[in-house]
Amino acid sequence: MTDSTESLIASLAEGMEPIAPASRPLALFIKWLAGSLAYMAIMLLYFGLRRDLPLHLHAPLYLAETGLLACLVVTSGISAVTLSFPDLYQRRWAVFTPVLPLLLFLATLYLEWLHDSPPAPEPPHGMDCLLCISMFSVLPAAWLMLLLRRQASTHYYLAGGIALLAATSIGCLTLRLSEDTDSIAHLIKWHYLPMVGFSILGLWLGRKLLKW
Amino acid sequence: MVSDQDSQLRELMQKSLKGDARSYSELLSQSAEMLRRYLSRRLSNKNEIEDVVQEILISIHKARHTYDGIRRFVPWMFAIAKYRLKDHLRAYYADRLRFAGTLDEAENISANDVTEPRLSYESIKEEVRQLPEKQARILYLIHAEGYTAKEVAEKIGMKESAVKVAAHRAYKVLKKKLAE
Repeated sequence: MTDSTESLIASLAEGMEPIAPASRPLALFIKWLAGSLAYMAIMLLYFGLRRDLPLHLHAPLYLAETGLLACLVVTSGISAVTLSFPDLYQRRWAVFTPVLPLLLFLATLYLEWLHDSPPAPEPPHGMDCLLCISMFSVLPAAWLMLLLRRQASTHYYLAGGIALLAATSIGCLTLRLSEDTDSIAHLIKWHYLPMVGFSILGLWLGRKLLKW
Repeated sequence: MVSDQDSQLRELMQKSLKGDARSYSELLSQSAEMLRRYLSRRLSNKNEIEDVVQEILISIHKARHTYDGIRRFVPWMFAIAKYRLKDHLRAYYADRLRFAGTLDEAENISANDVTEPRLSYESIKEEVRQLPEKQARILYLIHAEGYTAKEVAEKIGMKESAVKVAAHRAYKVLKKKLAE
């Protein structure tokens, strides 16, 4: 071993103090989910649930869409916290858990598109939806990024992208529970395409905030 | 055999996380040996291998809180090693590309240009002055006075590895500033 490496090891060991290991991914995820659900509940209390929600609880496609959004929140949250560990907590499979809900969600949107005949009228407030999703997602996104930043991700791009997918899924779910609209064209244009955009932004944020 | 070594390293890390400096030193020494073997199959220059080993050891130190002493240690360590090696290779090839660029430009440089290098210590000394005092002094001694890292370490009473780490951090800051 060279002298310089030996002295580096000596200097690193010299300052060694007891250190608390990071929580496990599941504990981190629960911490994030609890905070995000509390925020979601506050938002729903303020904006209110959609008036026709009891009717929609009997509509299979609406149930599938919101249920899969909830699945996406859970699986992408788990995937993001797993990605924050250098070795993916030796559970590589956990990173891929959002893939199936995402595919099923896309299939559900396609079915809704087929069933939207005659097409439901598009509401005039497209931009408002985008702003609402941003508002509903911003705190869950910030909270998750903060949790991820405390770890040491070796996949910072993906961690950032999936973190924002999880946060915007919460935003979209909140809006879907409070907004009275069923126009699939509107939902795709102003709810779900922005979700893709935010996830791409997350890749960039991942590089900026999670690289170490 | 491998799992024996892993459980030994895991035990050392568990003690290290409780603040046992001796175990930590032993752990890092054993890790350095493993890393050297791993890197010698991927890099050819001995000094380069040693530099990357040191970078990985610093990264292991920084990320030690992400290891809980429950799962296997070796995959955790190699995940960090691969990450740092990739970083190192990215920087290496970026430098080579830049160098290739300057060779292309060289044909257009007149004899007078050669006596006035565009990026000398003089040309960036203002940026260097804005660095923390210790880093600025290290860069001054290396680049303006021509000392080696070892000589700088002796001159200012630091360890050679600490000088290298400080210089490395300073280069990172300068690179960012100059890119702005």
